Amino acid sequence: MSHPDRRRFLQMSAAGIGAATMAGGFPALASAADSPFKPEKGAALQLLRWKGFVKRDDEVWAENTAKFEKATGIKVTIDALSWPDVTPKAALAAQVGSGPDIIMGWNDDPFVYPDKLVDMTDLAEHVGKAHGGYFDTAHTYCFDPEVKRWVSQPIGVTGNALVYRKSWAKEAGFAEFPKDFDGMLKLARGLKKNGHPCGFSLGHAVGDANGWTHWVLWGFGGKQANPDNSIAINSAETTHALEYAKQLYETMIAGVAGWLDPNNNQAFLAGQLGLTMNGISIWASSKEKPEIYADVANVVPPYGPSKQHTIFNNFTSAFIFKYSKYPQAAKEYLRFMLDTPQADPWVTGMVGYVTPALKGYADLPVWTSNPNITPYRDAMAGAKFDGFNGKPGKAAAQALDEFVIVDMFADVCVNNMAVKDSIAKAEKRLATIYKR
Amino acid sequence: MFLRRLRLYGPLALYGVFLLLPFYWMLLTTFKPDAELLKSPNPFLIFHVTIEHITGLLTQTQYLQWFGNTLFVSAASTVVSVFISYITAYAIIRLRFPGSEVVSTAIFLAYIVPPAILFIPLATIIIQLHWFDKLWALVPIYATFLVPFCTWLLIGFLKNIPRELEEAARVDGASNFAIIWRIIFPIAVPGLISASIFSFTLSWNEYLYALVYMSSSTNKTVSVGMITELIRGDRFQWGELMAGALIGILPAILVYFFFVEYYVAGVSGSVKE
Amino acid sequence: MTGRPQILARLDSPRVLGYVLIAPAAVLLLGLLAYPLVLGVWLSMTSASLGNAGEFVGLKNYATILDDPIFRGAAAFSVLYTVCAEIGKLTLGLALALILNQRFRGYRAARSLMLLPWVAPTVLSALAWLWLLDPQFSALSWLLIKLHLIETNIDFLGHAWPARFSLIVVNIWRGLPYFAIGYLAGLQGISKDLYEAAAIDGATGWQAFRRITWPLLAPITTILVAFSSIFTLTDFQLIWTMTRGGPTDSTQVFTTLAYQRAITGGQLGEGAAIAVAPIVFMVVLAVIVVRSVRER
Repeated sequence: MSHPDRRRFLQMSAAGIGAATMAGGFPALASAADSPFKPEKGAALQLLRWKGFVKRDDEVWAENTAKFEKATGIKVTIDALSWPDVTPKAALAAQVGSGPDIIMGWNDDPFVYPDKLVDMTDLAEHVGKAHGGYFDTAHTYCFDPEVKRWVSQPIGVTGNALVYRKSWAKEAGFAEFPKDFDGMLKLARGLKKNGHPCGFSLGHAVGDANGWTHWVLWGFGGKQANPDNSIAINSAETTHALEYAKQLYETMIAGVAGWLDPNNNQAFLAGQLGLTMNGISIWASSKEKPEIYADVANVVPPYGPSKQHTIFNNFTSAFIFKYSKYPQAAKEYLRFMLDTPQADPWVTGMVGYVTPALKGYADLPVWTSNPNITPYRDAMAGAKFDGFNGKPGKAAAQALDEFVIVDMFADVCVNNMAVKDSIAKAEKRLATIYKR
Repeated sequence: MFLRRLRLYGPLALYGVFLLLPFYWMLLTTFKPDAELLKSPNPFLIFHVTIEHITGLLTQTQYLQWFGNTLFVSAASTVVSVFISYITAYAIIRLRFPGSEVVSTAIFLAYIVPPAILFIPLATIIIQLHWFDKLWALVPIYATFLVPFCTWLLIGFLKNIPRELEEAARVDGASNFAIIWRIIFPIAVPGLISASIFSFTLSWNEYLYALVYMSSSTNKTVSVGMITELIRGDRFQWGELMAGALIGILPAILVYFFFVEYYVAGVSGSVKE
Repeated sequence: MTGRPQILARLDSPRVLGYVLIAPAAVLLLGLLAYPLVLGVWLSMTSASLGNAGEFVGLKNYATILDDPIFRGAAAFSVLYTVCAEIGKLTLGLALALILNQRFRGYRAARSLMLLPWVAPTVLSALAWLWLLDPQFSALSWLLIKLHLIETNIDFLGHAWPARFSLIVVNIWRGLPYFAIGYLAGLQGISKDLYEAAAIDGATGWQAFRRITWPLLAPITTILVAFSSIFTLTDFQLIWTMTRGGPTDSTQVFTTLAYQRAITGGQLGEGAAIAVAPIVFMVVLAVIVVRSVRER
């Protein structure tokens, strides 16, 4: 990296300056020298991560890795998988005690096998201190209160926001996006009447279906479990959430029950959809279609009766297995990658696909460079964790993997099941899962 | 005459439409620009042909590498499995050693074990053997489902070869080895070809094992590589996916086109009395 | 000097040679199939989860899944999926074989082309179907609307029954050529004389089919159905690619549910129990085939 570039980074994030910035000509080397992590001699690392949601992610990540290799002489092999395939691969590595040194996994992954993971406390605290600390959800997902240590290094979330067509919302009487659930329902009805319905997945779409159903459930104050992991799904709040969802479903485009993650993107980009929930990808890829691009807006989803931010986003963090021969090198790699000179171009290059868990990166200029990016900046701040308000861990992960909440909504909306039957079904399922 | 033709070609056309529609769809999607995929006055036609998906596939991804990997794994596991199956089938059918009945049944039962139950415990073994992420490891792994099937197929085939041939050779002083390689092998060729075609196809299509046991991009097979590297987040790259699928089925088409008669004869040999 | 020929001579004895020849298959199948299978069955009786060996719990996992409506639904759909798909493949495959058994211009090309669904990588052709059956962009819906047969897009994969039906059709699509080729092989083994004799006796085409073709195809039918059922009952790629068991678990089958519970959910023990469950059906099928093979 050349000097002027580096200086730019220095100016941009004073909070995020690591030791790297004090050095002269060889920033990476110098930062390594000041780092508390001393890579093992002859170390070589294997990283398993999810394939970037946008090409720029993989490209910048690879450039940063090349810088790391050049500075430290440590070879890093990167394997990238389609994002839902990482969790099984990580679990397999845990099971057999061999595989990649570092895995960038999802949500509760580290809690499924905490005793197989290297203690990440030193790294997480070092990085946290250097970059403004973590958002609460990051702490929940990566700090294991039972063993009282960090088991994973927080990275961020793939944020969700509502995506809609401005002109069609206006046509339905909403020049501004509604601020509450009632308004949102009115908007959805208006859109439907004008032939530009909304659409939210009720199929087994890992990102989309979980995203909006949890938002509605939590928005009404419903929750899956209590902090002691007793099941709390059977409540008046859940009932309200399901009744609301049913009304919303009536305004939706046909077919949402079969939607996987790409379906709403396709429908929106074809101009068939007036409103949906998604990551930034719809807006980003609409650039190819100028007439849609100018008309798309992303907004933070309105608050429900619980009067708080209740979005659910898939959270990613990096953990190191104990079988790794080079844990120090692995930590140094993660520290390096999350340090400003690397993380800034990475986050900036992705334009909002991943919202960092570190507060220091919420100030990057990219977040305010376009009003449609800003909602994704806040994806971390108010995000809740899966299984809310229970404990993160195996049970929560399984409930999510088995789509218990999504199916509860789909049963009511699509299968015409009575609300109380649907809740009872989910309650029974959750009881089985949490009892294991 | 016309009626006769209609009775033949009418149903044939219906079958053709049903069986080939998805391939037509692949072909169409491969050469269709992205804009037309989601909005087109007639989705069954292409208005502006493009080859950007094919060039993208070949230059932006490691498709050629995956293709080569798949070819290698499929060919190697076919050769290995058919060889093992041939000698096993011969031993079971002709060398009535004690326990051959049991072996025959056991091999058949081996065929009905679904990979879905095996791949976790098998993974432990793969790791212990240091076979993880080694492309050639797929050869013995695939052999676990190919050998039982091919053996069973060849048993049926070898059964129908008249014993007199061997007995005549034996009278002339030929050893069992000679009989296996010089007498039976040439006669068994159609059966071996049909076993090979089956093996090749099954290997070419395998997904689960390759997905779990291979991890570097350079060791992926076509199916795995395309699913894991071409589905980016929440966007299907339909053009590239369908282009890859289309190219991915070409070897199979060629093999079948040239050997279809052998194949029919082979299956026929294995099921006839 | 006499050692080598002696060894060779001993090797040549059927008994010794028999064991030598089956050795590679035995090592392979014991090591990479039987052993993991036993491990798998053992897992189904433990509380193992990913990264945790667990302990022996006897049949508890089986009790749990039998009490689980999702598992019962998956078992029911697995059987329904298999039965319907087999019936479809059998009838359509047999009909296709009867057509292809004739000599006509281009019959060779027709035989090769009709095989394509069977040889194409399943994951990839399933993607083509997914794209064809898309709720918004389905070309099939578009065509039917243009033909004025329907008014709005068909929601192929969004509701339980259409989704189940669609998967069965796609499975038939994929497996039909296997039946067609198998039957084609069987048909070519039937002597023309039989039909000529029947024609002399004044039998109609249908009678000839009922009295000659169908009975003579019975053995191959058994084999085709048994093998295909095993494939179908343990199908994974097609359903996983197209619906992932949704909507609301309505298209779960043994394998998708086992994968979901064991791999994504980490419950190895319970997942193994689900995966082991279809073996009961498969053993029955296997016994039928072994019998029919032995009888002949």
